[in-house]
Amino acid sequence: MRIVNPMNEAILEAANPALRLTTLRGKTIALLDISKPGGSVFLDRIEQRLRTEHGVTTVIREMKPTFAKPAPAEVLQKIRAADAVIEALAD
Amino acid sequence: MRLIAILQTDCPTCRLMAPYLNALADSAPVSAISQDGEDATREFVRRMEIRFPVERDPGFELSKKFGVVTVPTLYVVDEQDRIVRKEPGFDKIALNEIAAMLGHAAVASPYDGAPASKPGCSSRHLEVQTSDPGAEALDLHSKRGREASVIDLDEDAVEYCYRMFGDALPVVPPTVERVEPMLAGLDRREVIARIPPCYGEATVEKIAANAVMAGCQPEMMRVLIPLMRAVADERFNAHGVQATTHFAAPLIIVNGPVREELGFHSRQNVFSNVARANSTLGRALQLVLLNIGGARPTGIDMSALGNPGKFSHCIAENEEENPWEPLHVDQGLARDQSAVTLFAAEAPHGVSEHKSRTARGVLKAIAYSLATVWSYRACMGFEAMVVLCPEHVRTIHRDGFSKQNVREFLFENTGIPLRCYEEPGEGVEQRTMYKEIFIDGERCYQKFRAPDSIKIVVAGGTAGKFSAVLGSWTVGPRGSQMVTYPV
Repeated sequence: MRIVNPMNEAILEAANPALRLTTLRGKTIALLDISKPGGSVFLDRIEQRLRTEHGVTTVIREMKPTFAKPAPAEVLQKIRAADAVIEALAD
Repeated sequence: MRLIAILQTDCPTCRLMAPYLNALADSAPVSAISQDGEDATREFVRRMEIRFPVERDPGFELSKKFGVVTVPTLYVVDEQDRIVRKEPGFDKIALNEIAAMLGHAAVASPYDGAPASKPGCSSRHLEVQTSDPGAEALDLHSKRGREASVIDLDEDAVEYCYRMFGDALPVVPPTVERVEPMLAGLDRREVIARIPPCYGEATVEKIAANAVMAGCQPEMMRVLIPLMRAVADERFNAHGVQATTHFAAPLIIVNGPVREELGFHSRQNVFSNVARANSTLGRALQLVLLNIGGARPTGIDMSALGNPGKFSHCIAENEEENPWEPLHVDQGLARDQSAVTLFAAEAPHGVSEHKSRTARGVLKAIAYSLATVWSYRACMGFEAMVVLCPEHVRTIHRDGFSKQNVREFLFENTGIPLRCYEEPGEGVEQRTMYKEIFIDGERCYQKFRAPDSIKIVVAGGTAGKFSAVLGSWTVGPRGSQMVTYPV
């Protein structure tokens, strides 16, 4: 029996994960808020700890306009400068 | 004044624009410049039924002269050949302004199913060129998807398909023999839509294979193709609807003559297992979302409790028992135009009201159910669909209510008493944004943002005074908007 493949057949290219940081000292860290309630509270505390306990020099704070849609290109562009990104998901 | 449009034959925005240019060309001087080769341009003119002259632009001399960056770009040119207006991309307001400049009536209705605006593609002469920069070589960009692969099976096909393609229900194996009749008169490789959240290409052939699995008959393809465009419409935001932890699942509402032509059922048991057309169309959409869109219930589809509608979620409106305009007419389409509407819906919540003999009594019962949508104290961030059964409709209509009266009554009578907000919880922090109203002498926060947040559909059997309320997912431009497409 011959059947027509009903699946998406696009070949997805595997991407390697970014190299892990060995230290946070002197690094630039982006904090991405997806605009769900409570995200800013969580990230405020993370920012404080990154700066005071881990020697992070620069923190980029960005926010998606809505949690319901993918991040727009301009938000992605702004966080691209960071060495690592921490994203606050969910409520 | 005349209009010159610079187009590409495979640009989705240019294709979206083409019918509007045709409408303008009926009484205004319109011409176009195609950045593609002779064959592609001829095919574009044929397929899009173009009624205005289209010239080619070999070497992109004209494109460079106009300085076009994006296609489509519209140029309004005066008698002295000066450009008096330049409009890149697709924008309904701009199109109607240009129509007025040309002395033509407006051509773009806000409710014709097309988005209000859509950005275009980059001009060919700005694209990275290969060693052969001729326009013919660039026709490789044509929006034809790859032909689907064919799998040779020597095992039980039902078991194989169940394991590889389905959800938790067995499907009809999409054999070459079953898929072929679905493709009659269609281009199997045409990409109809890219289905979120993984944006797989829904070619005609892939849609047909999933439709066969769902049990659709070949004539259903005429509904499935506009339905695929609707589900991929950015306003509907299937990306979010398919990935959310919430209950929402796309609900299809079918209107117009296609109901009778293809056997869609709008009466008793409308939400369940009553008609092949309803059940198979709803199921085909779900299988496409799963197999082409990639939202698997064990993966990207993260719904906490799910929704029985994810097997199939399709109703037709009972227009015959509806004394008002049906849903698709509310959405700006003609009554005799068939249509599909998508609403990101929760499962139906029943409202029984057998004792009240007045519109007010019936609508009050519905308002109390509407007050519980999303979470009782949350207001404004969502919509609701009210499916009125014929017996309730008769009572409401007899008391002189129009459909707009129904929406306004429900809007003004649905709210949550302020006394409920003393304890913290969902919807409480946002109450500074809510509007205070009085309902039966009690101070309440108004549940919905506007009367239009309450969508009214008539459906169901003529015995039993049971209507239903369906909550939505998060709505508006930042969530999911209801979309209606002509069939």
